[in-house]
Amino acid sequence: MAPTLVVEDLAVYYGKRRAVDGVSLTVGRGEIVSLLGANGSGKSTTLRAISGLVRPARGRILYEGRDITCAPADAIVAAGVGHVPEGREVFAEFTVRENLLVGGHTVPRNDVTERLEGAFGLFPVLYGRQRQLAGTLSGGEQQMLAIARALMTRPRLLLLDEPSLGLAPMLSREIFRTIRRINATGVAVLLVEQNARRALRLAGRGYVLETGHVVAAGTCGELGEDSRVRAAYLGLGKPTRAP
Amino acid sequence: MTTAALVHVVVSGLATGSIYALMAISLVIIFNATRTLNFAQGEMLMVSTFVGFTVYARAKVPLVVVMLVAVVAAALLGWVIERVLIRHAIASTPFDVLIITLGLSLVLRSAAGLTWTHDEFPFPSFFGDRPITLGPVRLVPVSLGIIGASLGLMWGLWALFTHTRLGRAMRAVAQNQRAARLMGISVERVYSASWVLASVVGALAGVLIAPVIFLSSKMGLVAINGFIAAVLGGFGSMPGAVVGGMLLGVIENLAPLYLPSSIKHSVPFLVLIAILLIRPGGVLGRPARRKV
Repeated sequence: MAPTLVVEDLAVYYGKRRAVDGVSLTVGRGEIVSLLGANGSGKSTTLRAISGLVRPARGRILYEGRDITCAPADAIVAAGVGHVPEGREVFAEFTVRENLLVGGHTVPRNDVTERLEGAFGLFPVLYGRQRQLAGTLSGGEQQMLAIARALMTRPRLLLLDEPSLGLAPMLSREIFRTIRRINATGVAVLLVEQNARRALRLAGRGYVLETGHVVAAGTCGELGEDSRVRAAYLGLGKPTRAP
Repeated sequence: MTTAALVHVVVSGLATGSIYALMAISLVIIFNATRTLNFAQGEMLMVSTFVGFTVYARAKVPLVVVMLVAVVAAALLGWVIERVLIRHAIASTPFDVLIITLGLSLVLRSAAGLTWTHDEFPFPSFFGDRPITLGPVRLVPVSLGIIGASLGLMWGLWALFTHTRLGRAMRAVAQNQRAARLMGISVERVYSASWVLASVVGALAGVLIAPVIFLSSKMGLVAINGFIAAVLGGFGSMPGAVVGGMLLGVIENLAPLYLPSSIKHSVPFLVLIAILLIRPGGVLGRPARRKV
């Protein structure tokens, strides 16, 4: 069985600026893989290339063995890739329910009610806020909505871009618990996360990106021991001067 | 002035206002999808109405058929214009599309002049011309008919935007195109649908107003007041387009009663300036906000 996602030698340019240059990575079936790196290292761009929002200049992207490199975003969603973008990007002027319905845009009409129930089952807090405008939700609730919205299509691969960004520690713990639960249902996850410690605890394997290149890869145990990772993302291994 | 006369003036103002509102809605539909103004909206309306009229003149078909012909012509026109002219320019700045539609409006007007001459033609109306008397108030069926038909159309559009997948997709694209793509919405299909829908709404407005202002290559100018109505209501908002249109129609009709009658044609602009001074975002507009 082909792995859920194979990215080979991906390169993406924004104009003349190289955002991603030669990234290769694999996400196996049912695996959680985390993508680490500083701001501007190409993590979000890699996710955008996978979901078809930006067109790669070079490389191949295979989803379950199928080449989706230059497929339009709507076809990639329909194939089973869900993308929860950085900054959540919920439709602020839509109610919670409308956000979920629009998430189910590609879902057969008869299945929409069932998917809605599934979303409310996973995030009961959204059920009570169905008629509320998404723009008025708290950050944590918006993140839950963004995830629930991406799950409406029952993706087999979920791309998560900084799901804990700007959330209080308790809320981000809850988000991470939810990711684990989603993963337990067989959904493979590619997770971009600033909080490397937490990402490594959740994921089985990880890749470290720097200026568009993969500079380290391995199991989370290995990455946790890697001196560069420890220094740059875990704040360990090198004495740091207090500010 | 008597109340009865006032009611008469207000009702005919609401009738013109309904047409402005429909034009405003057409402009807003396209603006929400493609973030650009369609300067050719009025000329698209004019051409569709002329196509319907040609069929009427040749075959004396019932008016319902004329309307259907105009609608089909409008749908086709909107689809072709979007696919051939707009789709390729959309990647560049909105100004390019703006200039393209401006040019298109001139081309369509000249082409209409060549095909149908620049004369004015009487256009058949759905509604009779015998006034309806309600006590002291006398109302023209045309006005009531236009208002009723427009409200019906607006209700239909409201249902489309709130209760169908296509409508929801269009509203999603208006809010955030990238997020809409991630939902599996084909933004390109929404562009197409928006141009077709706007063009069809315009054609219906054209068939409704042509009996009143006559059919001519110049009738597309009604879109200017539609634009003003859209700005009045808060550009981008559909309810705003309706309120702005009605408001403009009524004020425009009332003004000559109190001011020199020659002022009528500058009234829309005066109203626009006045309202934008008080509420820069329009009547139902939101505070200005930039989308990234």
